[in-house]
Amino acid sequence: MTNEPMDDLERQLSEALRRKEPPEGFEDRLWGRLPRRRAGFLAGLSSRFQSFVLTPRLRWTAALAMAVVVLSAIEWRHEARERAAGQAAKAQLELALRITSEKLQKIQERVNAGNRDQ
Amino acid sequence: MVFSIAYHFLRDRSLAEEIAQDVFLQLYRSLDSLETEAHVTFWLRRVTSNRCVDYVRKRRRRPEVALEETPELRSFDAPADPFMSRKLQALLQSLPEKPRLVMILRYQEDLMPEEIARILDMPVRTVKSHLHRSLTMLREKMERIL
Repeated sequence: MTNEPMDDLERQLSEALRRKEPPEGFEDRLWGRLPRRRAGFLAGLSSRFQSFVLTPRLRWTAALAMAVVVLSAIEWRHEARERAAGQAAKAQLELALRITSEKLQKIQERVNAGNRDQ
Repeated sequence: MVFSIAYHFLRDRSLAEEIAQDVFLQLYRSLDSLETEAHVTFWLRRVTSNRCVDYVRKRRRRPEVALEETPELRSFDAPADPFMSRKLQALLQSLPEKPRLVMILRYQEDLMPEEIARILDMPVRTVKSHLHRSLTMLREKMERIL
């Protein structure tokens, strides 16, 4: 049957069952359905990402990082204040030494003047 | 090919388009598992055939009509006669689902029984039996009008 040449009926069947083209716009409608699925896929990804970000573990990680930043800032400010206080103390000491030196010189000058008078 | 199989099976353009679009969307999702063009063609024929049969079995919109109950053909015109083609298409609609698919795959897709058997997942002798019985019934209908 299938290896023999087709008879009239079979030729007529081939004619009746020849391939039909899909309706106009078939491909456009098909492609129109694909992007929606891609969009849905992306929306799903976004949703999954959001739920991932909002997991308790990640929330704790973010809070810990924020605490480290704040503590570092406090430490840096404390060191800056200590540096400023040290420089002020050094300046006061230098002033005190200069005044003391001037007084000692005046005393020395008076002592020298008294020795000359005697 | 996909739309045409569905159309010849269902004889409804909108349903055929619906099935064809679903088949191509399924192909889009399955592309990674299909390696060659021949594999894609085989896959499309198989999935389209299965979807057509599933659709008819689920919906049962159109009850099957025995071939003997279909209208008699009044003339047997030249092979390219559109009227004759429509009559043959109507006669094919009276066939049960599997024999109808076998006929479509044989005479639309020009496939051999072995290929049809692989697509429809049935023994080759069953395919040959469907072909033989369907052709015999169609031929008897034709002889009555000659």
